Amino acid sequence: MFVLIAGGGRTGTQLAALLVAQNYEICMIEHRRDVLTRLHRELPTEAIYEGYATDLRVLEQAGIRRAEVLATCTDSDADNLALCFLARTRYDVPRTIARINNPRNAWLFDDRFHVDVALNQADILASLIEEEMSLGDMMTLLKLRRGEYSLVEEKIPAGAKVLGIAIKDLPLPEHCVIAAIIRHGEIVMPSGRTTFEVGDEVLAVTDRRGAHELAQLFEPHHEGYQHSG
Amino acid sequence: MNVIVVGCGRVGAQLAYRLYQKGHHVTVIDQEVAAFDNLPPDFRGRTVEGEVLAHGVLHRAGIEQVDGLAAVTNSDSLNAVVAHIARTKYQVPNVVVRNYDPRWQPLQEAFGLQVISSANWGAQRLEELLYGADMRAVFTAGNGEVGIYEFIVPDTWHARTLAELLPEAGCVPAALTRAGRALLPSQSTVLEDCDAVLVSATLEGIEALRQRLYPEREA
Repeated sequence: MFVLIAGGGRTGTQLAALLVAQNYEICMIEHRRDVLTRLHRELPTEAIYEGYATDLRVLEQAGIRRAEVLATCTDSDADNLALCFLARTRYDVPRTIARINNPRNAWLFDDRFHVDVALNQADILASLIEEEMSLGDMMTLLKLRRGEYSLVEEKIPAGAKVLGIAIKDLPLPEHCVIAAIIRHGEIVMPSGRTTFEVGDEVLAVTDRRGAHELAQLFEPHHEGYQHSG
Repeated sequence: MNVIVVGCGRVGAQLAYRLYQKGHHVTVIDQEVAAFDNLPPDFRGRTVEGEVLAHGVLHRAGIEQVDGLAAVTNSDSLNAVVAHIARTKYQVPNVVVRNYDPRWQPLQEAFGLQVISSANWGAQRLEELLYGADMRAVFTAGNGEVGIYEFIVPDTWHARTLAELLPEAGCVPAALTRAGRALLPSQSTVLEDCDAVLVSATLEGIEALRQRLYPEREA
């Protein structure tokens, strides 16, 4: 697969190095002298094309007609949008991926400019931080389906509300499946009658809302409860 | 007419002021508040400070109600992107784009936009003026690809027809003025010296005509 990358900043270079390591054929277009000096140290020479990505002749010579993916990683959102538009309407590139520099420009990155996937780095970082803060000890192991669903892991603390209750009797969130329990280093495949023990590591597949509900469910009893119960 | 001008540099300020003087409602957008100093002090249109692509800025400038938008910043890709969104999302009926660097004109044209290149257009006019005053452009269309040119018939072409004079390609007659009266000429019109002829021609057409009219200059 041949991937064309516009813009050799840190994002573009990281992507290029990753793809080269996986034996993809890539071509990076960059015009800045100082950036090119660095690129030549980090990428094979045949993967670098010197010129302006917004110059149609440069795009053509760098091979846009046979590119299966165009990734636009320049620091100009206008350039990234214009390049995705050109790639599809003029060169029939099957897939376009664009970097969003300024989150306030994110509303433009859609079909109107033929952007298939838009990567909003600021947004991704913010939602990761927000998630880490709001889920307490729950850890996200894997994102599924563009981040809609996740595989999460949480340890059952002492005094948890769920202790001693069979899974079938728990008010589990709607979009949530308990996938496995790791108990004393062994995998336990859960059934409806399984009950949680202190120290269990619970693996669950859930959506964002389910993760919050699950985190609440695994919390220890509030002080008031402990007195009354 | 309600018009948005994006970019308040020399071209943007000039355009906004001209529109304002003709009585139109003009809104100028620029990300630098200092750019509005380019506007003459008696300009009474609206100014909106903001990055034009940022969410809400075009809306603040009233894009839902405008009849026209001109994107005239010094970033050619920005001009193209703003114009494209104005046409496709907001259905602005009349959208024009300035080309700043002729190298990026193909990129703008790929969007199917009306592009005006001040650099190309200016260079062509200067080139024409350098060729001499005996053939002058009185009107140019697009970026000067086609123009209306006027010349005076020299005595070497007296009593010959227009068909003999005009090149086969890139040049058609538009009007002929003889002794103060204008008429629509045909290919068979017989010329008299001192006739003033208007032709519509491409750059190649006008160059071929110039060589026929003034062959001695080629030496």
